[in-house]
Amino acid sequence: MFADKLTKLLGIEHPIIQGGMAWVSDASLAAAVSEAGGLGVLAAGNAPTEWVKDEIIKIQKATKKPFAVNVMLLSPYAEEIADLLIKMNVKVVITGAGDPSKYLKKWQENGIKVLPVVASSALAKRMQRSGCDAVIAEGGEAGGHIGKINTMTLIPVVRDAVSIPVVAAGGIADGRGILAAKALGADGVQIGTRFIVAKECTVHPNYKAKILKAKDIDTVATGQHTGHPVRVIKNKLARTLEKLPQNEAGLTEFEEKSKGALYRAAVEGDMETGSIMAGQCAALVKEEMTVKEIIADLINDYTNVLNKVLKND
Amino acid sequence: MVFEKVKEIIVDELGVEEEEVKLESNLQEDLDADSLDIVQLAMEIEEAFDIQISAEDQKKIKTVQDIVTYVNENK
Repeated sequence: MFADKLTKLLGIEHPIIQGGMAWVSDASLAAAVSEAGGLGVLAAGNAPTEWVKDEIIKIQKATKKPFAVNVMLLSPYAEEIADLLIKMNVKVVITGAGDPSKYLKKWQENGIKVLPVVASSALAKRMQRSGCDAVIAEGGEAGGHIGKINTMTLIPVVRDAVSIPVVAAGGIADGRGILAAKALGADGVQIGTRFIVAKECTVHPNYKAKILKAKDIDTVATGQHTGHPVRVIKNKLARTLEKLPQNEAGLTEFEEKSKGALYRAAVEGDMETGSIMAGQCAALVKEEMTVKEIIADLINDYTNVLNKVLKND
Repeated sequence: MVFEKVKEIIVDELGVEEEEVKLESNLQEDLDADSLDIVQLAMEIEEAFDIQISAEDQKKIKTVQDIVTYVNENK
């Protein structure tokens, strides 16, 4: 599907990374993706170190294949989790929300590959200079916390900016997206939203139903004015947040209403005051399947689309 | 002069007016730079003055004065 730069680096079969999604991608989903030949990703999010440890143990019991932990650098437990990953012999770390330089040396000395998520070419260049092994360039179509540049532009500019492997993320849910990412210069893809509806994903059924029902215009990037936009499926919470005044009182209320909102949606199934994070490509996700079926479908679809393109059909 | 050059880069990068860029201006609060803008700005400063700003140092840079001081101390 792609040259073997990324698969070799990570020791995986297919150049497909499952996006780290807090409160959504736990051991169950991550282990299934790794077992199917992709790179499963446990999302640490804001969860306590003990929880992350237990989930890592579960993954290691379920599969011998490589998996990654997505570390949210702004988490109050980031420091502790950084050390835990070394102790638990995790082989791949994906970082979000900032610059992982602080931990880079000790991770790499312990044989951990480090892939930061980047949202601009300048950040990608910096990450390469710091010595990161690859970058995940995530466009604004993605779900959850997003950057300003969309995938169509971000992938080629990052490709031109660095020589390390580039993983395309944001908006990819089928073979067409994967082929497009390849054309834009990526060495692999990261897919989040589609895996939310995997049978192995333990997210609340209400959340899955929302993804399956979503149309192209159903997501919105909330909190643009806060400087940390978050893409979610429109619901009561999203509408309330968008109507808040853009002053200090508004910001305070924004934070209060957002607090714990992802947990409410993903774990408790609260579709009104919960935050249903999802990418625009939820519109392309129509069926609940097993992880194995999803990956087979992605590869099969990719091959069909490629053949069509080659035949100029 | 370092400040003049830094000002020129900030005006160019952030699309702000020259008059807005003062030594005491806070990049995020006064000049509306977000975290991606600051990374981009750091790259431009590095190129213009032929220096390297480490990630740790970059985090400490909050104001225009911080940039000028950093450049003066490191070039």
